[in-house]
Amino acid sequence: MADFLQQVVSGLASGGVYALLALALVLIYRSTGVVNFAQGEMAMFSTFVCWELIDRGLPYWVAFFATLAISFAGGVLIERLVVHAVSRAAAITVVTVTIGLLIMLNGAAAWIWKGEQRTLENPFGTRTFDVGGVVVAVQDLGILVVSLALVAALWVLFQRTRLGLALRASALNPESSRLHGIRVSWMLALGWGLAAVLGAVAGMLVAPTQGSFDQNLMLPVLIFAFAAAVLGGLDSPLGAVVGGLAVGVILNLVGAYIDFFADLRLPAALLVILAILLLRPHGLFGRAAVRRV
Amino acid sequence: MRLLGVISLVFSLAAGAASARPAADPGVSRGEVVIGGTIPLSGIAASYASVGRGAEAYFKYVNARGGVFNRRITYKYLDDQYNPAQTVQATRQLVQQERVFAIFNTLGTEQNLAVRSFLNAAKVPQLFAGSGATTFGRDYRRYPYTIGFLPSYVGEGKVYARHILRTKPNAKIAVLYQNDDYGKDLLSGFRTGLGAKRRNIVATQSYDPLSTDVSSQIARLRSSRATVFVVIATPPFAIRGLVAANRLGWRPQVYVNQVGAATNIMRIIAATAGPRIIQNAVTLISVKDPTSPRFRNDAGMRLYRQIMRQHLPSGHVNDGFHVYSMAVAHTFVEALRKAGRNPTRASLMRAVASLNVRNNPFLLPGVRVRTSARDHFPLDQGQLQRWRNNTWNPLGKVISARP
Amino acid sequence: MLAARTAIRVLGLALFVAVVVVVPSRISEFRASEFALIGIFFIAILGLNILTGYTGVISLGHGAFMAVGAYTTAILMLGRPGLEAGGLSPPDWLPVGDGMKDVYTIPIAALVAALAGALFGLPALRLSGPYLALATFGVAVATPSVIRKFDSVTGGSGGLNLFDSPNLTGAIFNAVHVPGGRTLTFNDWLYYLTWTIALALFVVAWLIHHSRLGRALRAIRDDEIAAVASGVGLAWHKTLAFSLSALYAGVAGSLLAMSAFSVQPGAFPVDRSIALLVGLAVGGLGSLVPLVAGAVFLVFLPQWAQDLSQAPGVPAVIYGAVLIGLMIVLPTGVGGLLRRVLGPLTSRLYPRSQ
Repeated sequence: MADFLQQVVSGLASGGVYALLALALVLIYRSTGVVNFAQGEMAMFSTFVCWELIDRGLPYWVAFFATLAISFAGGVLIERLVVHAVSRAAAITVVTVTIGLLIMLNGAAAWIWKGEQRTLENPFGTRTFDVGGVVVAVQDLGILVVSLALVAALWVLFQRTRLGLALRASALNPESSRLHGIRVSWMLALGWGLAAVLGAVAGMLVAPTQGSFDQNLMLPVLIFAFAAAVLGGLDSPLGAVVGGLAVGVILNLVGAYIDFFADLRLPAALLVILAILLLRPHGLFGRAAVRRV
Repeated sequence: MRLLGVISLVFSLAAGAASARPAADPGVSRGEVVIGGTIPLSGIAASYASVGRGAEAYFKYVNARGGVFNRRITYKYLDDQYNPAQTVQATRQLVQQERVFAIFNTLGTEQNLAVRSFLNAAKVPQLFAGSGATTFGRDYRRYPYTIGFLPSYVGEGKVYARHILRTKPNAKIAVLYQNDDYGKDLLSGFRTGLGAKRRNIVATQSYDPLSTDVSSQIARLRSSRATVFVVIATPPFAIRGLVAANRLGWRPQVYVNQVGAATNIMRIIAATAGPRIIQNAVTLISVKDPTSPRFRNDAGMRLYRQIMRQHLPSGHVNDGFHVYSMAVAHTFVEALRKAGRNPTRASLMRAVASLNVRNNPFLLPGVRVRTSARDHFPLDQGQLQRWRNNTWNPLGKVISARP
Repeated sequence: MLAARTAIRVLGLALFVAVVVVVPSRISEFRASEFALIGIFFIAILGLNILTGYTGVISLGHGAFMAVGAYTTAILMLGRPGLEAGGLSPPDWLPVGDGMKDVYTIPIAALVAALAGALFGLPALRLSGPYLALATFGVAVATPSVIRKFDSVTGGSGGLNLFDSPNLTGAIFNAVHVPGGRTLTFNDWLYYLTWTIALALFVVAWLIHHSRLGRALRAIRDDEIAAVASGVGLAWHKTLAFSLSALYAGVAGSLLAMSAFSVQPGAFPVDRSIALLVGLAVGGLGSLVPLVAGAVFLVFLPQWAQDLSQAPGVPAVIYGAVLIGLMIVLPTGVGGLLRRVLGPLTSRLYPRSQ
């Protein structure tokens, strides 16, 4: 039993990691209607920025918040310079641009930071405690708490503020939003900026869980974050977190207890998600609305 | 019309009708020898790019001192993104377009397997394949133009098994391995080495190189109550695996395979998980470690740092791949010298199969590069090392790591 | 008027054929293999276009169907004797045959891939837009590990070697004898084989475009509800499109296996699927001939980027920047540009989309 619970706990821990990036994906999808393939690389880039700031002598928390600010500016800049230019094009064009960003950011990080293994401080410390034979790490709890706090913050933003309303409106119906005096194109830029901030949080918290990181930090995480976001519902922040945790637990249980799937954790988890999607085509918490990819 | 000369030459090569004995094989001219290979320069395996750049730097160093028989060595390495289909296309380009003398230092097991038949049919040497798969040293009768370099994974697995049999013959053993040929080869060598004691392996778990985390596998391994933990993993997964083991409070005797045991990797583990989990960890090493204090004043490593400074200033000196690649490049230069004043592909292959180099400055003292007509494992020695005081310390003498 | 238009089309096609036939005599033997690769990607992108261009469904998983085609060809070429000689033990129930000449495996690879497409499409097409796109992405991600798992027939991560197989036309550098008494090198043979099939499949794609099926598919893309209202069977048509599109990918994969004279799981990473989508975007959604530009982009841009600089990361920056720049300047791809430039001249030569 302790074994089983340990599998669940470690699944929740890796799920927390997927959830963080999935939240950023959901935010950008919800506020701009784009599935952003560069989300992981933006997060990776932010993580390197944080590393660089610490390397130049800034204290951790100063570097942390400075990175959030820089990432926000970077996200807005990307939207203004690149994404905005194709905002009226077909979905495939927008997707292709985010793929171009993915490739470019990965290359730029390899160029600037030389592809070396770097380490980033873990803000939650390395302590663990034992609950009836099941080991729980403070770091993993910290990641879970942060992702839930972010869900709450996003809920407040989207449901309780005028800004959030404007964000949702411009994603759903740019034309009529414009008629209502919303500066739609700035709302989209704001959406990218906020998603970059969430990505930065994800990157800075995920990197320590991996021991060390290089420019490929987020490529595998992105795959699971997509799975998480789809499972939870692409437009639901809560769904992203629940989806992330579910993906983490499913991966572990399927891999650990069904021998046939021991080498097939990844395909098996994707199969389970597909099966769930067939029952709920818009994810666990998503709402049916036809929008572009 | 095409250049008839080129066509007929390619054709005679292609048909294997090399009876016309040309003055020199392709790629060799008065002042130059052109060789080539593939290396992942982009994509998820791009960190291996140093394996190309380090070798290139060493050739520049040799060229600056007059080359080999007054020929400079030009090394063209193309990006294959670690995708074997691209390896085939890039190798085709090197052989049919760039007309290289030999393929050198191509990285990866699948990648080298993909072009092996092609190169042997074209009678183009496939030198020092960057793979520890046993087949590159074992199957020389079928593939006479192919030779590997990395110590064989199977041999490495046997070394760990022998050490465990000697020091902890009755310990229960758990293994984490990557679920591809590399991981399975090393595991099978380990099993073979244990012989009748293979029953002592109480748990094995594999991971997919595309996953983010191995803590589930580690939890399974820990619950087997093993006291010896063999890690067959690349650096990121060795780090994650050992950090997770430490977190679960598991304190086995650790063996880490050479691929994942660079000093900087071990130090990352010590910094993340604390030094206890890897205290007394064991690995097998053949190449000098650029971060080891033991080699601070070593002549070979001084040469290494000088070459890095002069010919690869943008490279990271502490990256062990650079040292490895210079060890390979050094071996190639030795072979080329041995192939004579007017080297042909055939004479190069004869030279490659009769190496006995004691002074490769980039290999551990006492490790020899040795081949013969019936021994196609150039680098089959190593020295066990134990992790203490935040660094690797030699454990016994240089030993054989033959498969 | 109609006759004139047909004449232009036939003339255009004849010109295309003429270019294809003449090319090998103008380029080196190695370049022929590169142009063959362009043909292979052209076929795959044509197929993706049937799905994405006509029905609006974005697939990020077509690399998986290429893998199905490639492995079907490789396994059939080796057959049971070949697989067993390589130390493998395919299960008894699997009809792997006794070894089959490479060209005969192409139609089988096509059908198996089409079947795989239908089997995946049938359930998955219940999903909409981004959910479906990401489901296909999942398939692409899972492909290499699934191939590795069934190593008794796929050869695991080392894959299958076809170079020594007597069923590979032009194996071990034997000259290929073609009708008319000529002999070809392996690369030239590969080139002609690929482009002959590419032209045939191009014509099929063109016919689909102008058929009832093509109209029905475009109706679905433009407005699903209206399409259903006018009697278009949604599930059936979408599945058919998915399956046809997978068929093209299967043929491309089959040819790739011959061109690389081997198959490995590592040859079908996620990037392969993503690259096909990029190729389609560059060529131009809903176009036909301009899709060649997308294939050229996929084969040559990485090389050009590498020629400019081999410093770590720099080629990727160049590739990404060029791709983004291209999408900003030509959001509808090369096809869109040609439509704008040539539209007034030959308003019906290029199939319309959007």
